[in-house]
Amino acid sequence: MNVLLAVLWKDLLSEWRSRDRAVAMLLFSLLVVVIFHFSLPPASPDEARTLAPGLLWVATVFAALLGLGRAFALELENDALSGLALAPADRGWIFLGKALANAVLIFAVQLVTAAALGLAFDVPLAEHAGRLAALLALGALGLAGAGTLFGAVAVRTRFRELVLPLLLLPLLVPVVVAGVRATATLLETGALAVEPLRLLLVTDAVFWIGSYVLFEFVLDE
Amino acid sequence: MSPPEAAVRARGLGKRFGPVVALDAVDLDVPAGATLAVLGPNGAGKSTLLRLLAGLARPSLGSLCVGSQRESRPAARGRVGYVGHATFLYPALSARENLVFAARLYGVADPAARAGALLAANGLTSVADRRAGSFSRGMAQRLAIARGLVHDPAVVLLDEPFAGLDRTSAARLADALRRLHAEGRTLVLVTHELGVASALADLAIVLERGRIVHRAAGAELEAATLDAAYARAVEPAA
Repeated sequence: MNVLLAVLWKDLLSEWRSRDRAVAMLLFSLLVVVIFHFSLPPASPDEARTLAPGLLWVATVFAALLGLGRAFALELENDALSGLALAPADRGWIFLGKALANAVLIFAVQLVTAAALGLAFDVPLAEHAGRLAALLALGALGLAGAGTLFGAVAVRTRFRELVLPLLLLPLLVPVVVAGVRATATLLETGALAVEPLRLLLVTDAVFWIGSYVLFEFVLDE
Repeated sequence: MSPPEAAVRARGLGKRFGPVVALDAVDLDVPAGATLAVLGPNGAGKSTLLRLLAGLARPSLGSLCVGSQRESRPAARGRVGYVGHATFLYPALSARENLVFAARLYGVADPAARAGALLAANGLTSVADRRAGSFSRGMAQRLAIARGLVHDPAVVLLDEPFAGLDRTSAARLADALRRLHAEGRTLVLVTHELGVASALADLAIVLERGRIVHRAAGAELEAATLDAAYARAVEPAA
């Protein structure tokens, strides 16, 4: 637990000081919203409601990829990753600390993107703020769970910027599908659909448990 | 008198990276409290040996024991302090924050107090709240050594700690290593400088292409003798 809290504190403090990942992720997702606002202006509120869920999740998934790719770049400077790997604890705790820090960052970007999307497409997302936030939080956990593991794998490869999306995107399909379906149902009915929510929960659990176990080997040379 | 307990014991230790044999059939005993110098040309396997001892890499062959054989891998990592080529420091964090972070990783009881004590011991109190990214090579090296000692390890591994240091910083580091030796810690020191090995080590090995090609102890560590033996082992006459 000490290791989890130490890594979480270190990652959030470093990000607060530099803000380079948060700014890049936010700019990217907001640009996507702006581009779609001008290229696909919805003709009616119904059309806006149809477009919004897919846009929200695609924008934030690609923004998350951008941030996850940089998450371990921080650890490459001065070979700090080796310093982490030396900790006398199960390395799964390092995964949990880094993944939670990533999830916090992704969730913050998702919230700002959702607000911008609501304004740009005139979609009443604010009416469902609490449920949407819970849904986005589950999505952020899924993205961070798989992304942190594969970020650690990719960081030791020559073409890490290329390798991470290639490894990660196929795995994120269930998160995106469940997220889009649940958001669409939320906008239509005001309720969270059980099936996509269950898929999101199961995917999150598989990613986090699997990554916790595998992280020990990922950090070995 | 019984022989001193070995702090580090390796038998037939080997490490391969794909087809490349980085370390081959290394047998090694380092008694507790001794200082071992690991010498050899570039690419001889010195850093690989140190990273295996630190627990950063798994051996491909053979066995390795740092401390007790009954310990788990994480527990064995906790017995070791490692000062690598790189400093392991986060440039965006201050010197104090770097040490507090390391202390938390190692489960030190009072991280802030330990960080303060190490900063004072290494003459870094006046720059404790400056970001590590702004430090000179000498200051960063002192902070890296403090980081390596944050959990008071019994075995300290140092990978070319004198590289890039000016004379004053090198002398200060040599004094620090003598202090660690006097405290009874086991030191494993990778270096290219035979003079450093002569001055600080109780034992020395010379690695060449992943194998130990020479061992020295006692009078064999005298500078001229070690220099001649190194030349014979690493650069044999054609």
